[in-house]
Amino acid sequence: MDTQHGQDELIGKRLVPGGTGEVMIELRGVEKWFDDFQALTGVDLVVGRQETVVIAGPSGSGKSTLIRCINRLEQHDRGRIVVDGIELTDDLKDIQEIRRETGMVFQSFNLFPHLTILDNITLAPRHVRRKAKKEAEEQAMQLLERVRIPEQARKYPGQLSGGQQQRAAIARSLAMEPKVMLFDEPTSALDPEMIKEVLDTMEELAESGMTMMCVTHEMGFARHVADRVVFMSDGGIVEVDDPETIFSNPREERTKLFLSQIL
Amino acid sequence: MAAATDAPTTAVPPVRPNDPVVWVRRNLFASWPSALATLILAPAVVVAVVRGVRFLFVDARWEIVRVNLALYLVGPFPRDQIGRLWVALAVLAVALGAGAGAIAATARETAEAAGRPIRSGWGERVRRAGPPVLLVLGILAFASGFEPVLLTAGALALGGGAAAVTQRLTRRGRRFVPTLTVLGIVASLAIISRFGGVPATNWGGLLITMFYTIGALLLAFPIGILFALGRRSTLPVVRWGCTAYVEFFRGSPLITLLFVGWLILPFFLPPDFPTPGLVTRALIIFVFFTSAYVAEIVRGGLQAVGRGQREAAQALGLTPWKQTRLVILPQALRAVIPGLVGQAISLFKDTTLVLIIGQSDLLAVARSVTKQDEFLGKGYIVESLAFVAIVYWVISYWMSRESQRLEARLGVGTR
Repeated sequence: MDTQHGQDELIGKRLVPGGTGEVMIELRGVEKWFDDFQALTGVDLVVGRQETVVIAGPSGSGKSTLIRCINRLEQHDRGRIVVDGIELTDDLKDIQEIRRETGMVFQSFNLFPHLTILDNITLAPRHVRRKAKKEAEEQAMQLLERVRIPEQARKYPGQLSGGQQQRAAIARSLAMEPKVMLFDEPTSALDPEMIKEVLDTMEELAESGMTMMCVTHEMGFARHVADRVVFMSDGGIVEVDDPETIFSNPREERTKLFLSQIL
Repeated sequence: MAAATDAPTTAVPPVRPNDPVVWVRRNLFASWPSALATLILAPAVVVAVVRGVRFLFVDARWEIVRVNLALYLVGPFPRDQIGRLWVALAVLAVALGAGAGAIAATARETAEAAGRPIRSGWGERVRRAGPPVLLVLGILAFASGFEPVLLTAGALALGGGAAAVTQRLTRRGRRFVPTLTVLGIVASLAIISRFGGVPATNWGGLLITMFYTIGALLLAFPIGILFALGRRSTLPVVRWGCTAYVEFFRGSPLITLLFVGWLILPFFLPPDFPTPGLVTRALIIFVFFTSAYVAEIVRGGLQAVGRGQREAAQALGLTPWKQTRLVILPQALRAVIPGLVGQAISLFKDTTLVLIIGQSDLLAVARSVTKQDEFLGKGYIVESLAFVAIVYWVISYWMSRESQRLEARLGVGTR
């Protein structure tokens, strides 16, 4: 009976949105197969408006696949994904709508090497939101101020350090004024001395009220910034809890094992 | 002991002595095999250069070129219509000059923004201008009278002027230049062939060579890009169609295709179907052939663009066509400039195959003039072919040099 109660509570933590309490992202029974390999085994998770969720877990556990399904960089095979009231279907219109509302930051930055930083940032606002060039550039400069690299605006990505490139990539995503930001291991390709500048930028973003889902191995960031931490293993969610509980008093053996290996 | 650490001179880069003896030892006699190669090859090079120079300036009987210059340049083009060619040349010079100026300005701005500003010293400018100037001077040296010299100088001045104007345009102003260039090229063709002009079947020499080259390139590049994109389409029918097109034209010898266009194609067209003229048919064959190669070159470039680029563009909400046009294609095309220029040079030389459909292109003229009474049987083929070879080589070399400059300026290979 006690176990049953614990199970309900466990499920409950997955489905109660944090942040303001309004639902921003809803995942129900999401499954993803790569040929015969099941990458996601029915994931349920609800993320609230203005909430920051950190997804942790060993490599190959489906963390990246999960957030890549949310903006349809991967197509989920079963289940429902709803972002800000729009269900992700095969309809190209829905996909485009969700992508416009969702920013993504990649491990390898993926800035466009043939464009200056300024052009990288203004590309989508001008061609998707149809903003005037001048307006888009003013906004881009404000964003570059915000991530503290305004002096790099006229340079090309190849001339920037890794940390600067990743902050430029964050500014590029923010230029679309997304409601959700997805981070796919944003600091894993960075030299140690550059990790902090990117994490600081992400922390400021979380404090400003952005809804964020972050796949990261930075447990310090998870402890201080996350509202909830999701622990994944073998394509499924093992445990969801507030960082304090999950780091000091994890419920599941697999979580304990993982944390003992990386902390 | 501490001398190495507190000596300020360590901040100065080491001086590399510029000693010719050291240079020779390092570059020509570095090892036994290298010394042996030098001893064998050096005399051969000296003999070849001496003979080559003596042939060009002393031995060669250039009168065959002097007498037939007009044939080399325009073939059987009616002499009373030559005025049209000069007007067309002037229009073409403006069009190409404007295009070159715009490309140069874009390249300069790109390089400056990337922190690799371009040094454009006088040495560099002379080296760049060398091939085309030599070509024009070499041709004019055989011209009779001042008229051609003045007209050529005028056309060059117009082209240079147009380049100077478009170089100073803003990015926004330059947007119209490509259209202008294409219109100019079309206009110059119309000036020659329309309004009671000369049909292309009567063109020849360098004129027809350049017509096929420029015309086929202008059409084959965009078509090739479309087929490259088509081969990566998610629609199987489009993909298979494009693959079939590319493999068919790439797998057939050009000479066969020209024969088909010349002899067989008209058979299969309905009797009252307006069969395109011979020159148009040859041009279409060149376009088919070249666009198949361009498609493969561009496809290679598309594959070289990382998957993350497409994903980043998708994540930003760009539509599939804009992902391709704004993010993928620009990177792919920059990466394959060397291959595309190689294909352009290849096409330029392949146009000599129109010989087999009976057209007097530059190479055909070079052979036929030796059969004139005053030159027959006296070995003038050597001078004639030498002249044509130099013309081909200078133009090809010029294209390749300019493409290397463009690569450097657009930062191909740098990330």
